[in-house]
Amino acid sequence: MNFELSEEQQMLKDSARGFLEKECTESVVRESEDSDSGYSPELWKKAAELGWLGIAYPEKYGGSGMDILDMAILYEEMGRALFPSPHLSTVVLGGLTILDAGSEEQKNSILPRISKGEMLLSLAVTEPEAIWNGKGWLPEGVTMPVVAQGDDYILSGTKLFVHDAHSADYLIVAAATGKENKITLFLVEAHSPGITYTILRTSAGDKRQSEIIFDDVKVPGKNIIGRLHDGWAPLEKILKIGAVLLSAQLVGSAEKAMELAIDHAKTRIQFDMPIGIHNWVQEYCIMAFADVQGTRNLVYEAAWMLGKDIPCDLEVAMAKARANEACIDAHWQAHQVLAGIGFCTQDGLLPLHTKRGKVYQLYLGDTDHHMEKIAQQLEKWPDLEKPHGKPLGIFDVPEDLQEPNWDVWKNQIEVRGKLW
Amino acid sequence: MEFGFTEEQETLRKELYDFYARELPEDVTDVPAVSKELQDFWMDLQKKAGRKGYLTPGWSKETGGLGLGHMEAGVANEVEGYWGIRWPNGVGLQVCGPGLHLFGTEEQKKNFLPEISSGEKIWYECFTEPEAGTDEANQQTRAKKQGDKWIINGQKIYITGGYKPDLLLVEARTADTVPKHKGLTLFCFSAETPGVTVAALPCMGGYLANIFYFDDVMVGDEAVIGQINQGFYHVMETFEFERSNTYGAARARRDLHEMVQFCRETKKNGEPLIKNPEIRKALAKMAVDIEVLRLATWRTAWRFGERDRLGPLDFDLTGLFARLNGIAHSVVRLNILGVYGQLRRGSKYAKLSGDVERDWQYTRSMHYAGTLEAVKIVLAGRVLGLPRIPAKLNKTIMEALQEKK
Ligand SMILES: Cc1cc2nc3c(=O)[nH]c(=O)nc-3n(C[C@H](O)[C@H](O)[C@H](O)COP(=O)(O)OP(=O)(O)OC[C@H]3O[C@@H](n4cnc5c(N)ncnc54)[C@H](O)[C@@H]3O)c2cc1C
Ligand SMILES: Cc1cc2nc3c(=O)[nH]c(=O)nc-3n(C[C@H](O)[C@H](O)[C@H](O)COP(=O)(O)OP(=O)(O)OC[C@H]3O[C@@H](n4cnc5c(N)ncnc54)[C@H](O)[C@@H]3O)c2cc1C
Repeated sequence: MNFELSEEQQMLKDSARGFLEKECTESVVRESEDSDSGYSPELWKKAAELGWLGIAYPEKYGGSGMDILDMAILYEEMGRALFPSPHLSTVVLGGLTILDAGSEEQKNSILPRISKGEMLLSLAVTEPEAIWNGKGWLPEGVTMPVVAQGDDYILSGTKLFVHDAHSADYLIVAAATGKENKITLFLVEAHSPGITYTILRTSAGDKRQSEIIFDDVKVPGKNIIGRLHDGWAPLEKILKIGAVLLSAQLVGSAEKAMELAIDHAKTRIQFDMPIGIHNWVQEYCIMAFADVQGTRNLVYEAAWMLGKDIPCDLEVAMAKARANEACIDAHWQAHQVLAGIGFCTQDGLLPLHTKRGKVYQLYLGDTDHHMEKIAQQLEKWPDLEKPHGKPLGIFDVPEDLQEPNWDVWKNQIEVRGKLW
Repeated sequence: MEFGFTEEQETLRKELYDFYARELPEDVTDVPAVSKELQDFWMDLQKKAGRKGYLTPGWSKETGGLGLGHMEAGVANEVEGYWGIRWPNGVGLQVCGPGLHLFGTEEQKKNFLPEISSGEKIWYECFTEPEAGTDEANQQTRAKKQGDKWIINGQKIYITGGYKPDLLLVEARTADTVPKHKGLTLFCFSAETPGVTVAALPCMGGYLANIFYFDDVMVGDEAVIGQINQGFYHVMETFEFERSNTYGAARARRDLHEMVQFCRETKKNGEPLIKNPEIRKALAKMAVDIEVLRLATWRTAWRFGERDRLGPLDFDLTGLFARLNGIAHSVVRLNILGVYGQLRRGSKYAKLSGDVERDWQYTRSMHYAGTLEAVKIVLAGRVLGLPRIPAKLNKTIMEALQEKK
């Protein structure tokens, strides 16, 4: 057990903080709300120059080979700065899926271009019918039909809540190719004939999510990622990584909100004293602090395990479930402290954090989804080897001894008591 | 960053696990008062573990430990938590011993530490008073110097302990200072010292506390622990050590495991309890809370172990999470049992040996080593740097309140 960042991790964190504080200002974040893509192309270029876009790829694909924990540290900073970018969609959900399951040709043609900031990807999984059934991120929820036609495949159907789709160059689409939830991942040219995008207006206020309708979209057979019918394994893996990085992003955002609250509590004067002198206001700050710190450990643990390939379904689900609740809670605590000024949307960071936080809470598995995953893991816990509490032998409490026997104790303790 | 354990730590864990698996009967309970046999059993086990150095793996070999680090001590605490072992001398092992390490003279260390690590002696910590609860600095117990002796008079309350005490660690006022906390000193003396009397103070859940009275208790300079008038600071630092105890989360996880097993085996409306959506969620929530506590504790333990390099503990959330979990989970677990939840150990139909009911009673107080609010006061002031009412105004406020009446 060791909770200290390595020197390289600390450097990554510091340089990310410095860069984002300078470049990713509140006005940049606000401008992204009005832009059609929801991100700033200039900042994206600079991120490429910093090596953030190839961060997780091996050097031969133009990357720097860092692991999930390093990325979690970067994501925390991105969340703190509200960095508006398709990083998760492109670099992680897209690129890492190609790295994990793609052909050598796919890797060579895609990953170096992602690293250079020349290509954007987007992952399309969730379907409308699956959402109410709680299966938005499960293989059972993927029912999009596929028809084989010679060497090609024809996709039809609807994907919903797809992040960064309309600005992407390629989509990775999960579709149902066989019985028993067999799914396949297709690499689909984002502007293929038959695809239409409808922007969804969300709490975040930006234009980053859409509905995609596929109307007989033709995909060449060589664009299958991995093998036919074998799409769930890589998808499951990348959804775990994505959930953990999103959790890290939420932690960063919650920490910023907490700092806003503490600053305000110290400086806002009412009744001739700083409001932070009151226990109630302190309570908000303390709980936000506990939300942030308590969750951060869970996120790092899950990221560490993912990076080491240690089975961690339970830890990943715990990290996202906790981040979903605690980080949103921290935003709320900050609203209590900031009161009126925290509610105004023209100026100030808190509403930006709160609104985006809600979107990321619901993305890659909401709390219900991950709580159910946790419960499934608990169900699998083995029976205890040696259960406690089978009453027998000398330790069984006799029926007439419902209360602990104080007399026994008094005799034991041979002191000169005032009571005896 | 590293979330696993070294091979040596895993070996130690296995060794301790196997040792206790062999030694513990299936129906063991940690309520010490129920029978003499039970008390003897726990004292014997404490001595047996002590002889092997298992009580204090983090202490040096000279003082009866295994010469390992703070993290190995954490591993041992986890195993004890898993088996639900509450040592008769928990206070000595977790508070007084570490305190002696930090502030004791060489002679005091030589005198006292080996008897703690070997499991022979029982210590009580006597800090709280009727007028000095959360406001611990408000000590009324006085130690006055007369010649080369200290004469101690006063009363202590809520002092944990169900086994006959050998030694007492006592906080007392040695100077009338402003602020109050700069005039306190720690003393350690035998519970048999003339002038010491005790009264039992039975608490909920079978918890045993005591009232201590000191009437002209006379001790020498060798009884002073640490520096004179620094007692308050010593107590605070000692509690830091206690908070790094990994026991709580390990025990909670074991309790959850038992509950999960119960919910798999027990049916409601023809279906296992664990299939009930509300219960599933309740179990999952507890699992998350426990993991939060576990990692927060390990962080504190790690940070405490590194304090020579990194300075005093920056923050600790173990106190907060342990209290929040303890208060909430015991209620959730009891409610899962439904009407059976009220049945106590020994009753016909009691589930899980009535342990859930007892835990519920017992956790109606999570005030030991400071209330939830006391924990928050520390976080607000020392960690987050939020303002507080200057202590010198307290009297003025009190007077203004009285005037108003
Ligand atoms: C949507 C909206 C509509 C509004 N409409 C109107 C309107 O039509 N007309 C109008 O006049 N005003 C209006 N207000 C203002 C509203 O009344 C104030 O926002 C409110 O009184 C709080 O003041 P504040 O925002 O300055 O927060 P502050 O007073 O700065 O409070 C900040 C935090 O400190 C806490 N706090 C402050 N003092 C204490 C104390 N002594 N003890 C403990 N905690 C304390 C507060 O509860 C809060 O959590 C509106 C506000 C909003 C958000
Ligand atoms: C099971 C148990 C075991 C114990 N074992 C020991 C032991 O071994 N040795 C020992 O010395 N003591 C022991 N104690 C005593 C324990 O440390 C005290 O109970 C604790 O410090 C609280 O003091 P009090 O009960 O007098 O409550 P009070 O201090 O009277 O507090 C009453 C309430 O007021 C709140 N409060 C007080 N001051 C403030 C403030 N400034 N701001 C906000 N809220 C405040 C408290 O948080 C609490 O909710 C034990 C207590 C219990 C319950």
